[in-house]
Amino acid sequence: LSPLCPPSLRHRVPTGDSWGIFTFLCAALCNLPALPALNCTEELGAGQSIQKTYDLTRYLEHQLRTLAGTYLNYLGPPFNEPDFNPPRLARVERVPSATVDLDLWRGLTDNARLAANYRAYSRLLCYLRALDGQAGTAELRHRLGHFCSSLQGLVLSIAGVMSSLGYPLPAGPPAPPGTPVASNDFLKKMDDFWLLKELQTWLWRSAKDFNRLKKKVPPAVVTLRLEARGF
Amino acid sequence: MIEKLLLLLFFFFFTPSFVSPAADPAVISPQDPTLLIGSSLVATCTVSPDFHLKAEDLYWTLNGRRLPAASYAALGPTTLSVALARLNGSKQQSGDNLVCHSRDGGILAGSCLYVGLPPEKPVNITCWSKNMKDLTCKWAPGTEGETFLHTNYTLKYKLRWYGRDNTCQEYHTAGPYSCHIPKDLALFTPYEIWVEASNRLGVAVSDVVMLDILDVVTTDPPSDVHVSRVGDLEDQLSVRWSSPPALKDFLFQAKYQIQYRVEDSSEWKVVDDVGNQTSCRLAGLRPGTVYFVQVRCNPFGIYGSKKAGIWSDWSNPTAASTPRSERAAGGCDPKGGEQNTTLRRELKQFFGWVKKHAYGCSNLGIKLYDQWRVWLQKSHKTRNQVLPGDKL
Repeated sequence: LSPLCPPSLRHRVPTGDSWGIFTFLCAALCNLPALPALNCTEELGAGQSIQKTYDLTRYLEHQLRTLAGTYLNYLGPPFNEPDFNPPRLARVERVPSATVDLDLWRGLTDNARLAANYRAYSRLLCYLRALDGQAGTAELRHRLGHFCSSLQGLVLSIAGVMSSLGYPLPAGPPAPPGTPVASNDFLKKMDDFWLLKELQTWLWRSAKDFNRLKKKVPPAVVTLRLEARGF
Repeated sequence: MIEKLLLLLFFFFFTPSFVSPAADPAVISPQDPTLLIGSSLVATCTVSPDFHLKAEDLYWTLNGRRLPAASYAALGPTTLSVALARLNGSKQQSGDNLVCHSRDGGILAGSCLYVGLPPEKPVNITCWSKNMKDLTCKWAPGTEGETFLHTNYTLKYKLRWYGRDNTCQEYHTAGPYSCHIPKDLALFTPYEIWVEASNRLGVAVSDVVMLDILDVVTTDPPSDVHVSRVGDLEDQLSVRWSSPPALKDFLFQAKYQIQYRVEDSSEWKVVDDVGNQTSCRLAGLRPGTVYFVQVRCNPFGIYGSKKAGIWSDWSNPTAASTPRSERAAGGCDPKGGEQNTTLRRELKQFFGWVKKHAYGCSNLGIKLYDQWRVWLQKSHKTRNQVLPGDKL
C-alpha cells in the first residue's frame, strides 16, 4: 500500500521580481562607503549553492539512467523497450508533469521556477519511496534506496538556493486523502514507468535551469568585491 | 496584468486535474491472475463503448510479442479473447505483461500474469549465537531452480516447552536467506526454529530444528595478536594473543587454533592442539621468510557444556619474518623445541652422565648448550634486520 502522496497542485501565479530586487540592492550597496570587510558570504553562498545543486542534478541524471534501466527490466517487456510510449490515462494526475511549454517555462521568474522544482521533486521523492518495497532483487532495492537519499539531498539543496537568494520556501501542501492508487498491477507498472520518465525529464530540465541561474548570480558578486578592493 | 491572467488560464487548462477522469479504455479479465506452470488461460478484452472500437480492431501481446491471430476469438462486438496454452514460468517476477492493443498499437489495457510453482521446503537451517547475546540463522531455499514468483521467507521460533510463536524481524544480515534475532533469548532451554516460505501459489514449512543457544555459541576472534621473533632463532616465531573479551566472565576453557602461511603461498598450515593457552611458539619455519599468522577461538565448554562451540572468524592476519639461516620440521612447541633431536638427545644423556660421575661440573647442562647456540647465532647475525611484527 503506497502512502498518500499529495496530488498535483495548480501552478501558482508567479509573484515577485528577483531582478528588480537585485538591481536595487546593487544600486544601494554601490552608494555606500566602501567597507573593507564587505561581507559577501550571502551572495557567495548562493553561487556555491547553485553550483552544488547543478552538480547534484547531473549526478542524479546519471544515477537514474542505471536505476531506470534496472527497474524497467524488472517490469519486463514492453516497459524496457526503447520506443515504449504508453498512454497517460486521464486519471487525477499524481506525478508532476515536466512537459510544460518551454517558452512558458523560461518566461517564469527564478523564484517561480525554483519553487516549481522544489515542489515537483518533493512529490517525486514521495512516489519513488512508495515504489514496491518488495520489488525485485536486493540490488534493485538498494539502488532505489540510494537514489532516494540523493534525491532528498537535491530537495534540500534547492531549498538552500532559495533561501540564499532570499526567496521564501513554498509551503508544504497538506496531503488530501482520496488520491486513487493504481487499481491493478498493470496500471501500477504504467504509473511506475511514467514516474521514472517524468523524473528523467525534470532532471534534464533542472540542469539547464541551474546552469542558467549560475550564470546570473556571480556577476553581481564580482562587482561587489571589486568595490571593496578599490579601497 | 492581462499576461498574468492569460498565464493563469493557461495553467488551468494545462493541469489535467481539471479534466474529468475518463473511464479506462478497456477491461481485461482475468486481471492479474496467478497460475501454475503448464496451465492454460483464456483472457478477454472488452473495450469501453466511449472508444468506438470493434473486436476486429484489437490484438494481443505477451511480454511485447504479438500473439498469433489464430488464438483469438471474438466473443462479442467489443470483446476479443485469446487462448494461451501450457504457460511457461513468468519471465520476470513482476508478472508477464499481457496487453490488449488497438489496431494502431496503442495500449488499451493490460494484465500481469503470475505463472510459477509453489515454494519448496527451505532446508539446511544453521544457527549461531554471538557471545550468547543473539541468534543468527541461515537456510537454503528448497528449489535449486526458480519458482518464478517472488518468495517470502519468515523465520519463526518458540521455546519448546513454552508455546508462543515468535517471528524474526531482521532479515538478510548474513546473506539473502538469513535472519537475526537480537534479544530476549533464554539459555539452558531448547528452542524450536523453522522457516516458512510463501508465494502466490502456496506455503511450505521447513523441518523444525531444535537447539539450545549454548550449543551454538561463537565468539569474536582473539584480540591483540602479536607475532614476534624468538631471539635470533631463525626457524621460530612466537605468537601471543588475548582471549576474546566478551566471554571473559563466563567459565569456559576456550580452544584456539592457529593458521599460518608463507607470504607468497596460499596454503595455510593449521596448528590444532593449541589448547587453552594464549601463546604458542611456531617452530620448523623457513628462515628469512615472511609469515602471515591468524588465530581463532572456540568457546568450548561454556557454562560447563561438554559440547564444542562454533569457531570464531580468524583474526586479521599478522605478519612477521624469521631471521636468516636454516632448519626444518613443524608444530607448536611451548617448551621451545630444538631441531636435530638426535644430537640434542645425546648431549642431554652425556650431561646427565657428567653430573653423576664428574664432580664440580654441576653447571654443565643442556641449558648451557642452548645458551652456547644462541651466542653462536648472535655472533653470525648481520644484515636483514627485519623487525618482528613488521606488516608488509
